[in-house]
Amino acid sequence: MATSQPPIRLTSHKNFVYRLVFSTLTGRTVHISQIRPSSPTNPGLAPHEISFLRLLEAVTNGSQMEISYTGTILVYKPGLITGSAAGAGAGSSGGGVIRHEIPAGCTRGVSYFLLPLCLLAPFSKAPIKVLFTGPGVITSSTPTGDMSVDSVRTAILPLFNQFGIFNNIELRVLRRSNPGPNGRGGGGEVQLVFGHQVRLPKTLHLMNPGKIKRIRGVAYCVGVSASNNARMIDVARGILNPFVPDTYVFSDVSSAPLVPASDRNNPSAKKKTGLGFGLSLVAESSTGCLFSADVASPPSGGQPPEDIGKQCAYQLLETISKGGCVTTAAFPTMIGLMTMGSEDVGRLQVGRDIVGDESAIQLARDLVKFGAPGWGLRDASDEEKTGDVIISVVGRGIGNVGRKVA
Amino acid sequence: MIGKRKRDTTVVSRSKKDGDREESPAATKSSAKDIFRKFFEAQFEPLGIQSGAGAAQEESGFGSGFESDTSENSDSESEWSGITGEDNENVPVEVVDYTTTSTRADDLMDKRARKAFMTAKPPSFSTDLTSTTYHSKQSKDDKGDRDDEELNLKNDLALQRLLKESHLLESASELAPTGKNRHKALDLRMQELGAKNSLFHQKNMPSSMRKGIKAKAASKDEKRRREARENGIILEKPTPKSNSSRGRRERGVGGPSVGKFAGGTLNLSHRDVAQVQSSRRGGGNGRERGRGRR
Repeated sequence: MATSQPPIRLTSHKNFVYRLVFSTLTGRTVHISQIRPSSPTNPGLAPHEISFLRLLEAVTNGSQMEISYTGTILVYKPGLITGSAAGAGAGSSGGGVIRHEIPAGCTRGVSYFLLPLCLLAPFSKAPIKVLFTGPGVITSSTPTGDMSVDSVRTAILPLFNQFGIFNNIELRVLRRSNPGPNGRGGGGEVQLVFGHQVRLPKTLHLMNPGKIKRIRGVAYCVGVSASNNARMIDVARGILNPFVPDTYVFSDVSSAPLVPASDRNNPSAKKKTGLGFGLSLVAESSTGCLFSADVASPPSGGQPPEDIGKQCAYQLLETISKGGCVTTAAFPTMIGLMTMGSEDVGRLQVGRDIVGDESAIQLARDLVKFGAPGWGLRDASDEEKTGDVIISVVGRGIGNVGRKVA
Repeated sequence: MIGKRKRDTTVVSRSKKDGDREESPAATKSSAKDIFRKFFEAQFEPLGIQSGAGAAQEESGFGSGFESDTSENSDSESEWSGITGEDNENVPVEVVDYTTTSTRADDLMDKRARKAFMTAKPPSFSTDLTSTTYHSKQSKDDKGDRDDEELNLKNDLALQRLLKESHLLESASELAPTGKNRHKALDLRMQELGAKNSLFHQKNMPSSMRKGIKAKAASKDEKRRREARENGIILEKPTPKSNSSRGRRERGVGGPSVGKFAGGTLNLSHRDVAQVQSSRRGGGNGRERGRGRR
């Protein structure tokens, strides 16, 4: 780079992944300080954040990161998003698929990695193919607030279609896993293939939430009886069917994953982990807006599947009741793609609660720090008095800076 | 697949477990009636009809809320006793389950929907469940259409060729030109596709012969035009003569830049000599410079 801009200075561990993603997309160096400085037991970066940095290192070329001794300060200088180009990145074996191992202590679901990676992927040089594996992959939704892999596939990935990104996108769940004991670790395996790279995503105008026309869902159980699925489905359908008759929830049963648990006596010992069940529901409106809900059994257990089904159905209804065209979970992805879009005003109608959410405001502040123009907010002028807000986002029109620098 | 089968069996066992299967539809029907009645009463005044056993309230909380509603709306209505708290205490709470039985969903559709949804790809919600059979039928129709289209195209091409090349045909029985005529037809097609000149165009020939050919063609054309003019027929405008002789002719590489080389001698005309003498930057200067550099 000819001119070296000063790093963007940010504090705290909040919105960590999206800060790094926008740093990579805009090509600006970030300096994040005060990462959990007051925690007496584990200050600094958490294992999943370190793992995400490793993932970024694998899909980019030439990125540099420096972490202070205590881990409370991070300087990240982004490189080019190369994706899984042969010869570049980490894993050159196996047809350019990057193997990303997540350590056992990870408490976050794999969607924590998938969502930001999907936001990076359209601006990559080559298709991104990442295999998430290792003893920390949790495919279900987690108590830490991550959505399940099924919701990522059914509620987030279809959103890219609205930006003209639809080819060769796959998310394969090779092995399922719920969170292990104490919510740590799992044994799942997930492969993401994102093969549609664009220069600029299309400008989006999404201002009609429409009416819900169908509900789909996946009930999954790992290492427990399949009747749990049937029970969850039964209750969830009982709640949702009176609203939307076109409700189908599919059941997926899998055995428990085995993770190596080597001890002194038996080095090749394995143990089962990640038992549990969960439900992922997606509602689709007549205009193609997607609303998702996710509930899984807690790692401590003790909750009957009926409760999970009921909670999930109610959560879906709550998500829909918040209004707008996007959910809180999909908000960063949509806004990120709109911000990276062409220099044109895109509009998005969202519910008042969603835009007033802490994470949304944090995202807005971070985007401003990264040089994006502020959002224009105005009340949606609709007859139904939903109280929605229309966000106008001006695209930066830069697409991928890293590609140009190369 | 295994999960699917298991789910089926559980559904079956549930329906068996219900036991009073004959009663449950009646209960739901009456409960539906109950809802309608409640709605009506909320709008207007309570009805005098006593509800059946199936119309019992599902929860005491709901019942009490409903009661307060009615009491607000119609204090004076005496015949409506409402559902009182004491009643709820006495009568065992009946739970009305609104879950509809899933027997209606036929297995085939379920399977198809499952296939569409449970893939690695993000599901495209555009494919409708009900329209799948229609799609398959349509695709078959599409195939038939495509075949027809192909045949039409073929026939069209044959007709076009016949129209263009029919003057070459000797008899009406044979629709494809043969022998010499085939070559002529091929030549026509080549020219139509953009060949510069005809395959039969002779490149080298004595100039007298070429002049003769040109003169003959010109006289033929002139004769045609004259006859047409005399008969009052309007013809197309004569094509403008291409004045190819004007301007500088393309010369081959390695030829003399000045004069004319013929029979092993370079002949310079007066004009050439004058040109060489007059020009400052003639060949001589350049050559000298080149030698100096060498």
